This record gives sequence, C-alpha cells and structure tokens, in this order.
Amino acid sequence: MAEQEAVDQDILDLREQFLNREFDEVTFEIDGARFAEYAKVCGETAPRFIDRNNPDFQAPPTYVSTLVGGRSMPPDFPNLGGMGMDAGKSVQWKAPVRDGATLTGRSHLHDIYTKTGRSGRMVFLVTRMELYDEAGTHVANADTRTVIRERIQR
Amino acid sequence: MSTVKTIADVEFGGELPSFKPDTSIDATRRFGKYVGWDSPRFTDHEGARKEGLPGAIVPGVMSQGFLGAMIHRWAPDAEIVAIDTIFRAPVLVDQPHSITGVVTDVDEDASTVEIDITVTNEAGETRVFGTATAKLPNG
Repeated sequence: MAEQEAVDQDILDLREQFLNREFDEVTFEIDGARFAEYAKVCGETAPRFIDRNNPDFQAPPTYVSTLVGGRSMPPDFPNLGGMGMDAGKSVQWKAPVRDGATLTGRSHLHDIYTKTGRSGRMVFLVTRMELYDEAGTHVANADTRTVIRERIQR
Repeated sequence: MSTVKTIADVEFGGELPSFKPDTSIDATRRFGKYVGWDSPRFTDHEGARKEGLPGAIVPGVMSQGFLGAMIHRWAPDAEIVAIDTIFRAPVLVDQPHSITGVVTDVDEDASTVEIDITVTNEAGETRVFGTATAKLPNG
C-alpha cells in the first residue's frame, strides 16, 4: 500500500505542475465541404450535416475531434518511458460549428490519472482543446485521452 | 424501436436500430483524402502490416463519427451534447462491424437521454465503446 501511495505521488506532482496550464493555441478555418464529407463517410444521413443548402447546415458534433492542435502535450512534459496510444476521444458540444467559421483552439492538460492491472501501471493523460468562434463563443471541448503503459521494472 | 422525434418517443432500455458502418478501404481512403488521417496504417493494408498491425485500421476519430451517425439515424433531430468514446481495440478495415445502442437513462425534465453504444466485430468482440448524452425536442 505504501508503495502504491509512493507511486501515485509522482502523478500528484504532475497534476500540480501541469493541469489547466494552456500550452497551445491554433486557428482553424472550418470548411463545410470537408465536414460534409466527414459526415457522409461516417454514415450521417441528417440533411443538416450533409447538405450545404440546408438552412441549418453545420458540422456533426464529433467533427471537432478531427481538429489537431500544434502540439498535444506541454513542451516541458517529462517522458514517462512508455509508448503513448490513443485511448479515446470525448466531445462536449455547446453550439453549432458552421461552414466558414474561424475557430480558435486552446489546449491544456485536463486530467492525469492511473489504472493498474496485471501488466503494470497505465498513465492516462487527457488533453482538452477548448474551441471558440470569432465572437468568443465557446462552441466545444474536444478531449483526447492518451494512455502510456509503463515498462515494468525488473 | 424505429426513429424517434421527441423525448416522449424514447423508452428506457430501448434499443437503437443496429447500424453497419462502412469500414471499407475506400471509406478510410476517402476519410484520409478529405478529413486527414491518411497514413498507410489507415489507407493501405500492406503499409499497416509494415507497422506491425494485422492490416489497415479505421481511424479512431472515424469510429467516433460512426457513433454520432448512429444516434442521428435513430433520432434525426437529436443534439448530441456530450459523447465519450473508448478505443478498446482496433477496428480492422474491410472487416464487417456492427454498432448497437441502448438507452440507459431518460430525463424528461431536461429532455435528454443517455445512450451506450458499442462497435463489435463479427466475432462479437467489442472494439469501441461509447456513451452519449443527447437532447431531444419536447413532445
């Protein structure tokens, strides 16, 4: 138990040092032709996502997950020693993203936590990109969850 | 359960119509061309094998799009206000997959539903799991 607490202290230190600290800002020009293709390939059939002539034409809510920032981690974040893998994506949708919009994405580390299994400890890093339109309206959060499986020390 | 229009049409525990997403190599190439994620691991079986994969895989962001489409095919006017997707294992390109969904909560006051969605391969193995909250028009 004492060992587990000691292990987790490094995560507490990382949380203290890195959570909620903005490390990236990038601008996206939203192209309706592109998100309509995304919608069609994914199997959307609702006209507001695939028909540019629809008066409510907008990007599917999951489209913001395809927007990639300049970097996914703070530049001074330490190497945790394992290979990072994409463990999942989350979207919190707040307002429609329209054709021709210019969005600003600001990224920070939103969460750091661990799970321990038979193969050792896995560290999960949640990077959140907050997206705002030209008027400053917060339109969505796009989270990327990266898992790093630590190498077992023998 | 067929398509629904309003929150009044939704039953707790109701199943969404099953959906078979297009996981063909043509689809991932089209996704790569128009959206991104055009590396060989997504668009070319041989290129993916060179990276140690059993074959090309569907980008995770495309699988997430499948889940959103599933909800809109069931409830065309639904607004997905939150969706969380867990990539448990690769979705292999050119292999049939099915998506199933079930309503796990209905909040008539907030006019929202909670949905669990699962992408499985032909062996019945879960590859992607998602949970979503969707807002529906009041009945």
